[in-house]
Amino acid sequence: MENEELRVTAELAEIGLSESELQSLGVAVSELVRYFATMMEADLEELEPTTHALMAHNRTRADEPSAEPEATAESLLENAPELEDRFIVIPNVL
Amino acid sequence: MSYWNRVLHDARRREAYTKFVRTQDAGLGAFLEFDPARRLDPPLAEHADPGDVSYAGSVSRARSRGAAAGGETPESALAGVPFAVKDNIAVAGFNLTCASRILEELQSPYTATAVRRMEAAGARVVGKTNLDEFGMGSSTDNSALGVTHNPYDHTRVAGGSSGGSAAAVAAGLVPVALGSDTGGSVRQPASFCGVYGLKPTYGAVSRYGLVAFASSLDVVGVCARELSPLQAVFNVIRGLDERDHTSQEPVSGPSAKVSVVGVLTGLQGLDPAVRAAYERTVEYLQGLGYALREVELSTLKYVVPAYYTIATAEASANLARYNGVRYGLRPERAENPDELVRIARDEGLGPEVKLRILLGTYVLRSGFQDQYYLRAQRIRTAIRNELARAFDNVQAILTPTVPVLPFAHGEGELTAFQQKLADIFTATASLAGIPALSVPCESTTGGLPVGMQLLAPAFAEERLFAVAGRLAEAAGERGLVARPENYPPLPDWAAAKGYELDWS
Amino acid sequence: MYQSFIGLEIHIQLLTRTKVFCGCRSAFGEEPNTNVCPVCLGYPGVLPTLNAEAIRMAYVVARTLNCELAEYSLFERKNYYYPDLPKNYQISQYAAPLGRGGYLDIEFHGKRKRVGIHEVHLEEDAGKMIHAGDMSLLDYNRAGTPLLEIVTEPDMEIGDEAELLLQQFRRMVRYLGVCDGNMEEGSMRCDANVSVNRHGQGLGSKVEIKNLNSSRFVRKALNHEIARQEEILSHGGTIPQETRLWNENRDLTETMRTKESAHDYRYFPEPDLPPFTTTAQFLGAVEASLVELPLERRDRFIEQYDLATHQADFLTEERPLADYFEAAVEHGAEAHAAATWLAADVRKMLNRRRIEVQDSPLTPKRLAELLQLLAESRIHGKIAKQTLGEIFETGRDPLEIIRENGWEQITDPATLSEYVDQVLARHPKAVQQVRDGDSKPIGFLVGQVMKASSGRAEPRAVQELIIAKLELKVVQVLSFGGAISGVRRADGLVEPGDLVSLGELFAQDGFADSVRFDELHLGRFLSEEITPQDWAILLSEVASRLQTGAADGIVIAHGTDTLSYTASLLYWCFADTSAPIVLTASVLPHDKPGEEPHPHSDALRNLKAAVRKAMSGEPGVHVIYGDADFSPLNLKFEGLLPFSAPSRAHEAAGRKGAVGDRGAAESAAAGALSLGRFRNWNMESPVYRGRPISREIGELPRAELTRKLEQAVRSVFIAKVFPGMQGDTLIALMNAGVRYFILELFDTGTANLRETPYSLRKAFQHGEQAGALFFCTSQQEIAVDFSEYVTGHELWREGAIPMGRLTTESVYTRLLAALMVAENDDELVKLMED
Repeated sequence: MENEELRVTAELAEIGLSESELQSLGVAVSELVRYFATMMEADLEELEPTTHALMAHNRTRADEPSAEPEATAESLLENAPELEDRFIVIPNVL
Repeated sequence: MSYWNRVLHDARRREAYTKFVRTQDAGLGAFLEFDPARRLDPPLAEHADPGDVSYAGSVSRARSRGAAAGGETPESALAGVPFAVKDNIAVAGFNLTCASRILEELQSPYTATAVRRMEAAGARVVGKTNLDEFGMGSSTDNSALGVTHNPYDHTRVAGGSSGGSAAAVAAGLVPVALGSDTGGSVRQPASFCGVYGLKPTYGAVSRYGLVAFASSLDVVGVCARELSPLQAVFNVIRGLDERDHTSQEPVSGPSAKVSVVGVLTGLQGLDPAVRAAYERTVEYLQGLGYALREVELSTLKYVVPAYYTIATAEASANLARYNGVRYGLRPERAENPDELVRIARDEGLGPEVKLRILLGTYVLRSGFQDQYYLRAQRIRTAIRNELARAFDNVQAILTPTVPVLPFAHGEGELTAFQQKLADIFTATASLAGIPALSVPCESTTGGLPVGMQLLAPAFAEERLFAVAGRLAEAAGERGLVARPENYPPLPDWAAAKGYELDWS
Repeated sequence: MYQSFIGLEIHIQLLTRTKVFCGCRSAFGEEPNTNVCPVCLGYPGVLPTLNAEAIRMAYVVARTLNCELAEYSLFERKNYYYPDLPKNYQISQYAAPLGRGGYLDIEFHGKRKRVGIHEVHLEEDAGKMIHAGDMSLLDYNRAGTPLLEIVTEPDMEIGDEAELLLQQFRRMVRYLGVCDGNMEEGSMRCDANVSVNRHGQGLGSKVEIKNLNSSRFVRKALNHEIARQEEILSHGGTIPQETRLWNENRDLTETMRTKESAHDYRYFPEPDLPPFTTTAQFLGAVEASLVELPLERRDRFIEQYDLATHQADFLTEERPLADYFEAAVEHGAEAHAAATWLAADVRKMLNRRRIEVQDSPLTPKRLAELLQLLAESRIHGKIAKQTLGEIFETGRDPLEIIRENGWEQITDPATLSEYVDQVLARHPKAVQQVRDGDSKPIGFLVGQVMKASSGRAEPRAVQELIIAKLELKVVQVLSFGGAISGVRRADGLVEPGDLVSLGELFAQDGFADSVRFDELHLGRFLSEEITPQDWAILLSEVASRLQTGAADGIVIAHGTDTLSYTASLLYWCFADTSAPIVLTASVLPHDKPGEEPHPHSDALRNLKAAVRKAMSGEPGVHVIYGDADFSPLNLKFEGLLPFSAPSRAHEAAGRKGAVGDRGAAESAAAGALSLGRFRNWNMESPVYRGRPISREIGELPRAELTRKLEQAVRSVFIAKVFPGMQGDTLIALMNAGVRYFILELFDTGTANLRETPYSLRKAFQHGEQAGALFFCTSQQEIAVDFSEYVTGHELWREGAIPMGRLTTESVYTRLLAALMVAENDDELVKLMED
């Protein structure tokens, strides 16, 4: 894979690659992409892609609020790195 | 189960058990967290939530199933039994690290359905086990939080990604452990550690609380030293869950009876020891009266690339949520949201995880999606079709679990790429969504265990248990695989350490 | 010439109790991060579960938009990073959305247009990010709210259409009860895309506009963006494909910085959710949820209850009000009365209390009862209003309130008769005045009866009794200037006079007993000197005469020059009159009584014809001129004909669309008396009766009426377009306070929009900013609908409002009438287009 392709891919994936990572991961990614290309040889005729492991029937949930929430909002906010008045805080571009 | 349902019974036994595990695990590295007291009395709400009809229903279903199957209810079988949980399965009160820096500090605010069902049946979580970061690997070496060794040889890996669960079970630290299996992550370490490893049918066990790696492949699996507790656990955790819309009740139909076993032909690249073990197992089966029939899978050579294409594609989305905003590692300094996210992921994710995210992102990109992701999904269809045809003639299929023996830590014996190629047999079942069981079959002359994999059609787990049961029976007292040296059972260890306790 | 293509992406939050993929409550306005759970906060290990109600509502909307419903629809992951998106992918639909290929009809300036719906898909909303200095605050309460996206085809051309579509869509979803449509709170959101290209070259580069949080901004932003792109293209520039933000403070769009790679969303099927397939049972539930939509209901209201379009529009704007109205009618309320009360007094009461009609103490049954009491004259209007207030105050039934307060009117004829007899006996002077033809004391006499009965006598019945007892049956002749009441001075010029002298001549023809001549105390003037004040006096005089029932018919002697204005103004105010209102005029004055009349004067002849018409009792507003009965609408005065010249009316009479010329032709045949010529322009058939713009105008107090008329007149300007007309002139007028232009265009509505100083485009663009409206008529006898020519189409794009077949004069007076009653420009336009 071209370094440029890798860079675009990394940007989409929000992964910042250092020069050395670009090197090491670049090699590994290219090796696997080349390997993936062996799939081109497969004769797949008109096969439909499998999108779900086992085709389940329609599944829906009744529009009822959870009677007893399994986790309180407070317990979830406890894991937040920075809080202010219940808001989760991140830096902003000025 | 013998002594297991007594170890948490009272303070003295608990103390002895705790000391036992702490001591034994110090050199093994199976657990990331161990604390049998923490969920001795799991929060009542989790067990008696009146709003959660499905949950109560599942317990009663599990009971009735257990009663029908063995006479002894699974509740009594699992009552008081300690079990370990792979650290990518949520248990409130414990961390949920996924062996990743980015989640190192994350307290799980909730508990996975499978764990809740286990606890409802009386079992108790005692700790969280090590794994390859987010389940990505075959060695547990990709853990950012600790090293796990193979109990048979500490220079070798326990396998992965559920290496901690398999090692803990193999070392006798717990009778059973929950793991997760995406492309072999329960079966491969089970094979490496000489224990049973079950990957149930996709959807047979709720994934709720299992941290997603590849959602269309992930299943919660079970490691156990013996077959009966493994079956008991499976019967308890299986079934429809309202929190997982891909979970299913077992379809009625597939008979548990196995008379013809399929044997894969044209296997290449097997370690000679594995090949020998495979051939001997085939002979055993013949000796047990099973008819054998050769099965050829022409799609086998596409399994690994298709598996990695799909798994990494799904992973690239599943792991996007780890960005240091709502929980998890937050960089010390960041000027803006973009930078915050990039630094958090850069510092928080390991190289194998980054590699797979990049791959998965790439195969989904517009312009590449057709030739990779879509093509892999078509191959998946081809594999399913081919297996379905094979199951017209055989009731189960035997393959080696892994083509190689437990390898040394690092990439010296097996490169990361070669480790991926070794997923070939396990990933086949994963792509097809069918159940598979790794059975500890042999020990090599070097004392390393070798496992064999049994495959059955969807929801026909009973067939796997039937064949495995016959194999175990045939082995008799000798056992299929010897216990690892230096890892005696708890009563023996306790007795040696001077504890005067009655474990019966 | 350019072509513009507008498509909308509308997002609505569905009104489910819980979020789309988890059991958290879906609520607005709570403490930050309270309605959150591991699922909607994107915790590791959680799974989405589809809300049955969300998918049902989604299909209901798709079905209502006439979409083809997908038997198999699939959720997919849309991958992009944004801090408000917990999973950094959004569960949405892509390859298999639940609805495709639908449409929604909009009505713009009376024309229906079908806007295609490309697709409808269900997805989840993101959280909210608030920027505060060097930090951003995240609230995930909204994350996971069911969001339905509706993507239209690029079938719209101008911002006004997009605004309309959005308003109509909003009404629709509110009717369906699936969304509250609140754009300010963000429960309904809209992004627009627009592309401009040279005509016939298809779509240009697509520019997406975001940050449009009201339908008004959608219109303004799109029109601004179209103008901006046309400007660039006309200077040879090109338009880059980009996303722009609407800056509501500066009224313009600005480039939005986006990441280079931001547009690769890498959709793939959501493995955690099984595909959704429709079952017969599900589709049955969808069908059962369908409702009569606002536009259908409006049309039915017009048809079934004989309501005006604007009334029906008002009633059907919100479903609860429409339901309420129908319930009231069901309980026996008269539809018109119910509509009027709901639009005026009830609305005021509700606004004051800030409640909705369905939540008020005024139940449909109570309103019906109140209106019935009023209709049966058991109470009069003022009491009805008081009772309404009491209902709101105490929540009791109207009859109970009326009885308790002794408000019930006396309607018993015998009792009333006693009161009337007493009063008539006590006021012989007033009685004599009335008998002499002055209707004003009738009001006084009624007042005396009311006083005598302590206000409980039913005034209308009292009035009828008085008129019956005085045996009045009269036609009132009002003098309103012009040659018909004028006199010829010694130097031969005509100056204003009065009709009284003419009236004396009536005695000879036996009209005396039943015809009263009445000066309006306007002073003497010629009709070209009419002021808004004069009109105000005329309107209130006519109204009071109609109201008191003192006149069986009203004749207005008018000048010829402005007759077409006054006639149409009277029509817009009194179109539903029960007594005939007849206007007439003459070209020449009769000259002084006693002297020989001018040999060719048509004054007396026309006046007599008008009185005869008024006596005939044929209701409506009529214009009598030279034996012919003209419609008050589309009246054109074509001036004097040379005495000897052959009348053009013969030819005109044969022409299609000039049926009103029948009279002119006849009078021409009558010879010398046909001195001037009127005809009805553009008319298929003459109109005498119809629905007034508002019944209230004549009832306004005279001072208020005058003030309103003067205010209206000041804001209007009539401009006839001509080669060389400059847009800047109109802009100067706008700067001088003109807000409503009546443009008399060419043909079916054309004008110069080519980029020169003589283009009107600048005026329209300035008008858009200044809030000016342009009502368009034609200099030709043709319907203005902006058809046929690109210049017309461009005018339509600039927001000009076509007035069809109406003449400039009729449009002007209609505008005055509408301005007096409309509360805002939206209502005004509705009244103008009704």
